[in-house]
Amino acid sequence: MDRDRGSELRSRRWVEADGIHIDVRGLPPPQPMVSILTLVESIRDATPVVVHHERDPLFLYPELAEIGWTSERLDAPAGEVRLLLTRAA
Amino acid sequence: MTGAAREPVPEKAKAASFAPLDAGDASEAPRPAKAVQDPRGRKVKTTPGAFLGGAVGRLLPASIPFRYFGAAAVFHVAAWVALFAGADGAPRYRGGLGWTLASLHLVTLGVLTMTAIGASLQLLPVATRQAVRTRHAPTLVFWLYAPGVAAAAVGMGLPSVPLLATGALLIAVALAIYAVLLARNLFGARGMPAVIAHVWVAWIALAIVLVAALSLAFAYAGGTALPRAVALALHVPFAAYGFMGMLALGLSYILVPMFALSQPPDERTALVSCALACSAFAAVAAAAFGIAVVPLRVAAIGAGGVAVALHLRLMLASLAKGMRRDLGPSFRLVRLGWAMLAASLAAALGVALDVPFGGMATLFGLLLIAGWLLTFLLGILQRIVPFLASMHASRGKHRPPTPSSLAAGSALSVHAVCHVSALAVLAAAIVLDNAWLARIGTLIGLVGSVAFLAFFVQVVRRMLGAGAEGRTRAASV
Repeated sequence: MDRDRGSELRSRRWVEADGIHIDVRGLPPPQPMVSILTLVESIRDATPVVVHHERDPLFLYPELAEIGWTSERLDAPAGEVRLLLTRAA
Repeated sequence: MTGAAREPVPEKAKAASFAPLDAGDASEAPRPAKAVQDPRGRKVKTTPGAFLGGAVGRLLPASIPFRYFGAAAVFHVAAWVALFAGADGAPRYRGGLGWTLASLHLVTLGVLTMTAIGASLQLLPVATRQAVRTRHAPTLVFWLYAPGVAAAAVGMGLPSVPLLATGALLIAVALAIYAVLLARNLFGARGMPAVIAHVWVAWIALAIVLVAALSLAFAYAGGTALPRAVALALHVPFAAYGFMGMLALGLSYILVPMFALSQPPDERTALVSCALACSAFAAVAAAAFGIAVVPLRVAAIGAGGVAVALHLRLMLASLAKGMRRDLGPSFRLVRLGWAMLAASLAAALGVALDVPFGGMATLFGLLLIAGWLLTFLLGILQRIVPFLASMHASRGKHRPPTPSSLAAGSALSVHAVCHVSALAVLAAAIVLDNAWLARIGTLIGLVGSVAFLAFFVQVVRRMLGAGAEGRTRAASV
């Protein structure tokens, strides 16, 4: 879909040992949410996702709960909100 | 190596919940956090309510938006009761005090404006990335506004001019405070120019509506500010299309892409739509003062029609390109509301051209108020309420209750069937000028409104239950 391609172009993704990272800083609403949910929905196993955000994505949490994912806040540098998203057991 | 699948994202994502605004709080200092270690040995900060992190500064306490939504659900029931009381004259209603007028205002003030205040006070600070500046003012607005609506409606129904005047004053003061809150938010807004432009137009329309409505209300008590014909000609379009309509269209540019999980609509087209709507309002205002009445009203409907067409094209494109294709029963109501918006403009043309049909003005009112605004708003509300409930219930919990679990049940299906049936039967009552059909239609609508109220009560009970469960669990750890 065009939208998915657009989200992927605007958000940065990379893989580290602790999971897939996605940086949505600088994106206007609702693009961060679209990008994060697009990524989460594409994961078929227990791989966690680390989100780098500039603000706490307040309205994302019920959406994550709806699709069976949970969120935890991680340490992050000042000005960044970092979240660990994992599929609920 | 990760186990992430590389296949494309599913076309149809899970659709059970409201896809909301993604935002957080930059305004409220985070509460003290304690560091613990996750299973991988990394430091994780947890706080009371850490699931929302420091984001609560943009959230009003649950009791504030929910009291507005709850009052709207109660006034919705009252509106159908009042319409039943005035059903004899409803098919050919052309104005004047009585229960039909009371019913109309229970919908416009009690349901539509009540919900608009609650939703905009909660959504706009998040959308415009600002903190909630005051929690007392929204509470004050409610305690002025809700009794004002009740007094004004009963004053219209009985009729009792002192009660109507008292209610009108309370409403005017409440809406003036709300207008100040809205303006403060809009002045500090960042980004979203199309949304902000629409809400500013709604704000100006609200000011015009307040003057016209007070003029109409106090005309019954012997006072006059504007000639009745002028006040009425300003009141109807500026209240329904101006204040409520532009607020609905503007907030849709936030809500619909979030529901559908799609990219924001094209700003330029949205601004052109807004400009066309403004030109329509200017023409309507001039016509209200007796200037080239018929040509200007027809021109206004034409410009309004193009504005609506552009808006709906953006909305449908947003839905078509969204990650979430199936938006459930609530969006069937939203789509019906959009169709009724277009139909209301066709009926407005019939009124402007004085089509020889006695029920034209009443049919226009039904399509505009119940068909477009009420249907659209109830569709939106049934997504917002469980979502906000989930968000508020999640405080202090690792995993919040899902919106779909909070909204589960048959009440919304009953409501949808009854609402659509009531609209159809009432339209038939107007076309056939049949009071019995009007009574049957209002009874069906009443059943639907009770079902909607039951849905609301159920969501709130589940939200409170989930919150209590979370506190109990936290206390036992």
